[in-house]
Amino acid sequence: MAKFSFLNVWLCACLGCICTTAIAQQDTTQHQLRTVEVFGRPAEVYAAGSRVAQVDSAFLSTYSSGNLAEALQARTPLYFKSYGASGSSTVAFRGTNASQTAVLWNGLHITPATLGQADFSTLPLSGIGEVALQYGSAAANYGSGAVGGAVLLNSPKYKTDGFGGDVKLEAGSFGRYFGSGSAGYRGKNLSYGLSLYKHQAENDFKYKDLSRFGTPEVRLQHAQVQQHGFTQDLNWQISPKTKLALHGWYTFSDRELPPAMGSSDTEAKQKDKNLRLMAELQHQSQLGQTSIKAAWFNDLLHYTDLSNDSESEVNTDQLQAEQTYTSGERWSLRGGLNLQRFAATNDGYHGRKDENRASLFALFRYDPVQPLQLSLNLRQALVEGYDPPLTPALGFNWKFFNSNRHQISLKGNASGSYRVPTLNDRFWVGAGNPDLRPEHGWNYELGLRHVLVQGNAFLLETEATGYFIEIDDWIQWSPNRTGLWRPTNLQKVESKGLELSTTATVTLGKLKLNSTAGYTYTLSEQVEVYEGSGSDVGRQLMYVPRHKAILTAEANYKSWSLLGNLNYTGLRYTSNSETSHLDDFTLLNLALSRKLQLGPNTLLLTLLSDNITNTAYQTMAYRPMPPRGYTFSLRFSIP
Amino acid sequence: MKKLNCSRSFLLAVALLASALTFTGCDNKDSDAPSGAYAEDGVFVLNEGNFRESNASISFYSNSTGQAEQSIFKKENQGRLLGDVVQDMELVGNRAFIVMNNSNKIEVVNAATFQSVGVIEGLSAPRYFVALNNEKGYVTEWFPPKEDWSYHRGRVSVIDLRTYKVVKTIEVDVQPEQLLLAGGNLYVANAGSPLVHVIDTGSDMVIKTIEVAYGPNSLVLDRNNNLWVLSSGNKDWNAPASEHTAGALSKINIANNTVTSTITFPDPTASASKLLINGDKDTLYFLYSGGVHQLSISASAPSTTPLIDRTFYGLGVDPVTGNIYGADENSFAGDGTVYIYDPQGNQTGSFKAGIGPNGFVFN
Repeated sequence: MAKFSFLNVWLCACLGCICTTAIAQQDTTQHQLRTVEVFGRPAEVYAAGSRVAQVDSAFLSTYSSGNLAEALQARTPLYFKSYGASGSSTVAFRGTNASQTAVLWNGLHITPATLGQADFSTLPLSGIGEVALQYGSAAANYGSGAVGGAVLLNSPKYKTDGFGGDVKLEAGSFGRYFGSGSAGYRGKNLSYGLSLYKHQAENDFKYKDLSRFGTPEVRLQHAQVQQHGFTQDLNWQISPKTKLALHGWYTFSDRELPPAMGSSDTEAKQKDKNLRLMAELQHQSQLGQTSIKAAWFNDLLHYTDLSNDSESEVNTDQLQAEQTYTSGERWSLRGGLNLQRFAATNDGYHGRKDENRASLFALFRYDPVQPLQLSLNLRQALVEGYDPPLTPALGFNWKFFNSNRHQISLKGNASGSYRVPTLNDRFWVGAGNPDLRPEHGWNYELGLRHVLVQGNAFLLETEATGYFIEIDDWIQWSPNRTGLWRPTNLQKVESKGLELSTTATVTLGKLKLNSTAGYTYTLSEQVEVYEGSGSDVGRQLMYVPRHKAILTAEANYKSWSLLGNLNYTGLRYTSNSETSHLDDFTLLNLALSRKLQLGPNTLLLTLLSDNITNTAYQTMAYRPMPPRGYTFSLRFSIP
Repeated sequence: MKKLNCSRSFLLAVALLASALTFTGCDNKDSDAPSGAYAEDGVFVLNEGNFRESNASISFYSNSTGQAEQSIFKKENQGRLLGDVVQDMELVGNRAFIVMNNSNKIEVVNAATFQSVGVIEGLSAPRYFVALNNEKGYVTEWFPPKEDWSYHRGRVSVIDLRTYKVVKTIEVDVQPEQLLLAGGNLYVANAGSPLVHVIDTGSDMVIKTIEVAYGPNSLVLDRNNNLWVLSSGNKDWNAPASEHTAGALSKINIANNTVTSTITFPDPTASASKLLINGDKDTLYFLYSGGVHQLSISASAPSTTPLIDRTFYGLGVDPVTGNIYGADENSFAGDGTVYIYDPQGNQTGSFKAGIGPNGFVFN
């Protein structure tokens, strides 16, 4: 009950702020249940009241040579912890941690079960069609790990008939080169796409070494990156009611990992090889839609330094079967089963470790009257040796005001979450703890959304969301009485915050403008600590910025376009005691493009500059990030 | 409950006293004279920080103000980082030698101002340091571990404290830890072996190895010129628990460098570390099985109950007051806390330090 009154307070706060503030992304939950499509209802249909944001496709296309970490850091209110220009990069939503973020590709989890977190610097944008962000817990929809949020990746859809293709070449500062090519075909019943990319960078920029006498400017050593990979997608309409899709995604990266300033160089290197294959069969019958997805993933991680040579390999088999039944435009029910099998070999385990997991879910969407949408979801996970709780989610969207020009909706959501310990947490020899409990928690949120439309010339979409998340039995590695590091259910954490965003789209003759402003306020703190002194209770968790703001703008005039991202990240504490911190920073990126028409083909010339103001910043302490850099890009497209 | 109230009112008294002193300090307006800020009566806390994250720091707790100053190296050296994992610090005359384990260096500062005066670079995972005099020092070093996390034999480097250069290296055994100077010899505990090496400080040659219980890690000299060696026992996490051995205290007569007696601990799974001695050099203190133990130098059997039943990461004994300082490492996720106990083991105060406090150096 106390929590609901808390939500009321948030609601008042949201109402008070709405006029002054602004937006980041569009809410895809607005597009639901309009028509009953034959195939492929996005899972967001069952996420009424929660915040799902689509990352702008023009931005993804301009920055397609980068990785997901760079793109989302610049474009969204999410905070990425990057171990320097070539190191790993992990994300956390709403004051939680990287392990509490689910990453799905075409609806299936791709995070390796060993470490339990995704390294976004190994996930290229090349070959990814759509990127959506689910804020807040969505474990009932997406399963274990969707505690703070989820990143939803989808393969590209081929929309132009016939053959098409493009080639992109880039050269940039600090020894950076990128090349990609794609080819596709779309016929009546068949579409096929192939894309390849290769990327390499020296990352030999200069930075101020804070550990040496006189803090001299030195050149970053040992930070080379090489990446390549491909994607392949096939969609085949076997019959009017049956469709088969095959997706393949291979990524390889070979990176040198420089030490933190002042730390000894151990010549660390890491190779990651990830192969992901999946097949999806969809069939429409009187009983609704049937979807069966089968996938096989192979994740290989090879880390070496002066004293280590460690290899970790996980084979994951996944099967997800779903049946969706939709009645008119009023209600829709989806029931399903997800099976996962992990086989992991790792130098840290005694031999191979296998684990089977299953979960059963039922997702229900009901629109009792046109302006009101309700969803109720349930998931029960079954894991060997564990007893994860039944995880529900309940949400609503209520469009309580709808005039010609204004639409205002109130939305809210209460959802449970859980996260099963990783294989490392359990099987690491000498440290793994088989008695760990799964993390579990709740997410409550309430938001307002306003849409203002003025003909075709002006569209303003504004959203404000307040949330409260609690996570108990939070798993963390820490030393025991004898100094041995091992995972424990260390703490209970509460996170609360405010997310504001507004997007304006203006068309004035040949000039088209699109601008988004967003701000997030995040308070995330320990409320209980089950081991040790607990002296940091009530303080902001490390590496959670209280404030992050973004301002993006895109202007198109005739064949020219200008894209800009301004992003402010507030100070972040580097421990849980609030006594040491990294200063706040502001980054500005600009991209200017000119499109040339060469017969039916187009040539796109782009000049990009990242970190134009040459800000010295770090997202992980003492890991220098790149200064101002330039990139020139050419893209030739055949329709 | 009564104890809690007691300590609480004591804390309140300390806080009041401290604030009173702070206010008088402000009136003096002499804060622009930092010289000698760290020369007063107090204790340095070595906060090792997180491995590979370069966030080691040193705190200074002043006994007169009851206040702790944090990150004093960074503060006195224009925001410079101290480095990665501070392992040891020794006061030698007016200099302090700060051993930075994973930065492969020893930072040298003026002990009173903490301003940098030099750096000894090119070391390999240095562990502990002692100085024979103002001109010559010794540091134990490890080489990077092998792939199975076992180690090569380490070395002791001889350093010219005027030029900050290594002048000689002496091979010892696996994982050399603490060293101690006594009777013209340097004693080196090799934690990855059962051996203590004896090096003649005139020739800088190994003149003898003494076998003790497996895993000697710390050394103290008592008032009767006996060298006490604390061994952890074999706790190799790669090996099954059945192969683990008990830790022990070995007493060595430095006149003839032979073990005269051994006190073996009862539990082979419990670890022992951080051997210290009080100012009168007649009482030993060490960490064993998650508690602080106290043992008289005349004892012949281990103590059965800890003096302080609490797990600490760092341990210190004030040579003047006999007070015991225990550091809680706070899971390495936030600042550690130092708890102060009187020689009878009653807590008398506490203060905050940095991340992972692992040792104390008394001024």
